[in-house]
Amino acid sequence: MDDRMIKQDLNKLEERSIYVMREAKSNFKKVAALWSMGKDSTTMLALARQAFHGKVPFPVIHIDNGIDFPETYEFRERLAKKWNLDLIVEKSEIKPEMSGFACCGANKTVALRKVLDRYGFDALIVSIRRDEHGIRAKERVFSPRDKNFKWNYKNQVAEIWGDYSSEKEADGHVRVHPLLDWNEVDIWNYIKREKVPMNPLYFSRDGYRYRSLGCTHCTTPVKSGAADINHIIRELEKTKIEERQGRDQDKEKAFVMEKLRALGYM
Amino acid sequence: MIVNRVTVLGNKDHGKSTLIGSLLIETGSVSEQRIDDAKRTSRKLGRRFEPGYILDSFEEERLNEMTIDTTRAQVRYKEAGFEFIDVPGHEELIKNMLSGASYADFALLLVSVKQGEGITSQTKRHLFVAKMLGIRKLVVAVNKLDAVGYSREAFEEVSDGVGRYLARIGFPSENVRFVPISAYNAENLVRPSKAMGWYRGRCLIEVLAGVARLAARPTGRNTIIQIQGVSEDSNTAVFGRVVSGSLTRGSRITIFPSGKRAKVAGLLVSGRSKKIAGRGDVVTLELDSPVGPDIKGSVASDSDTACVSSSKINALLLNTTGLNKDASIRINGIRVRCRKVSVKDEVDVSTGECVPSDRIKPLNAGHVELILEEKVAVDLFERTPEIGRFVFYSGKEFSGIGIVTG
Repeated sequence: MDDRMIKQDLNKLEERSIYVMREAKSNFKKVAALWSMGKDSTTMLALARQAFHGKVPFPVIHIDNGIDFPETYEFRERLAKKWNLDLIVEKSEIKPEMSGFACCGANKTVALRKVLDRYGFDALIVSIRRDEHGIRAKERVFSPRDKNFKWNYKNQVAEIWGDYSSEKEADGHVRVHPLLDWNEVDIWNYIKREKVPMNPLYFSRDGYRYRSLGCTHCTTPVKSGAADINHIIRELEKTKIEERQGRDQDKEKAFVMEKLRALGYM
Repeated sequence: MIVNRVTVLGNKDHGKSTLIGSLLIETGSVSEQRIDDAKRTSRKLGRRFEPGYILDSFEEERLNEMTIDTTRAQVRYKEAGFEFIDVPGHEELIKNMLSGASYADFALLLVSVKQGEGITSQTKRHLFVAKMLGIRKLVVAVNKLDAVGYSREAFEEVSDGVGRYLARIGFPSENVRFVPISAYNAENLVRPSKAMGWYRGRCLIEVLAGVARLAARPTGRNTIIQIQGVSEDSNTAVFGRVVSGSLTRGSRITIFPSGKRAKVAGLLVSGRSKKIAGRGDVVTLELDSPVGPDIKGSVASDSDTACVSSSKINALLLNTTGLNKDASIRINGIRVRCRKVSVKDEVDVSTGECVPSDRIKPLNAGHVELILEEKVAVDLFERTPEIGRFVFYSGKEFSGIGIVTG
């Protein structure tokens, strides 16, 4: 794609994301966002700053299982200070015998539920994208969860002409997805254009880089020599390998992602 | 990537998911891993591989071989990008169909030519709904030609039937194209079919690219800004989106329905200071006087006559559940309750016929008069679709869509 098309596309995507976050702010009483310090949720924070006069006007939550990469923790502290984030860190318990489904499902979900209950958040901004996974392609922009975090994917809310209904069940909350229309390469083009600070793990070291970041237990790097943003963008325009191939949770079982999401995982 | 959004319509089992799956494979737009995953799943289920499995990713969808909810798939072909929105073909899933189709730039209709399939009431309903949603461009893919010996007559019979129905509901025929295909065998999708030598037209993907280049959806000329709310930090900074026309810094605006006037002292587009904002832009209007949070759902314009403030709306309503007492509409991003809903006539969606009636059967449409509990900013759908349409609710339940006719 030429530069002019990229610019038009990014402007359109940025517009939609800003619109969605402003809808969330004016529709709900207490909005928070999940921040994993990954490229998508960090881009979401950059978009929030664009939408709300240079500040992120909601708390950001990190569900911390204690086994994220040291670079990730360092990045969290650095950006939280730089952007003056209202950061909530909630520790989730990790047991050695747990992995994949049990770990992402049970542990992170329990911790997240605690946070939502404690603060009474009624909307949670989550930075998923439709191109990540077949299941995510089915998501709505405003997607209600019941009090047990269940996603009623068999009977989703109507979302017609971009009208996002903020109806939710009692004690439930609404997931807000401002990045649904973005692709992986769009994210990198935006990071480049807006100079969004990034976790260093995304850039190649010794022939490997992380394309998608989870915790140290479930994420493996991919072979890549892409040590800067331009190189990453060129690589993504060519690749036929899925972004999340380094993430165990997607591969374990055919429908594991769907089950995780129905349980409330992001 | 911003692409042409194409909603894929048609009766269940006429091959929508199969077509999108085939297009993904044929254009190399899907990773080998995702194809392998779908193949593994079909083996596990003891079934023959079916390209639609790439799309139907809910467990229930693969087990029951039907699409439950909208899904999206991106296809890249030469310079064009398409996002196919696959919607469920089952009648009871119309809510999901509407949710997917309402985002589309144009529609791709699938009709199976196979004996006993053909044009159904669901085919017609999808076309009627597409027109109500504001879709004005259409590609008709006549599918399963392989099942009728690639018969030209069979293709023409179905094409003519669709053409007649479109004429009846007033769909602009200059924006409609017909292509014979076999989605399962990937014939006439990206590569021409040898078996259909009588077809002189282009393959489906080329036809789609051509239709994408036709003029876009209609939009009004007046300046209309839908207001989303007011900033937490400043009660003079208003958030909104330009849905038609353009706005310049320094303009004097009128806010509907309140009638309040203000001057746009500062203008931001996506958070950056600008002199002018155009259609689609997400804006911050820095006004010379404060507003309250009740401004959400209002409309701003630099013209006094760009729209009206009214509590009475005449509309064409597609009703999905039947009418009950507790009706409300969502318009301009807010919910407004209806004091009264009077039905004037009913349209049989499958035939396009309009008959005087005081009720609308579920899944049919009709003309209604709505008396709202408060005034809203509104315009005719034909003139400014963005503020001339609404989502209809019965109690908390989704109950249909409406377009403003008067």
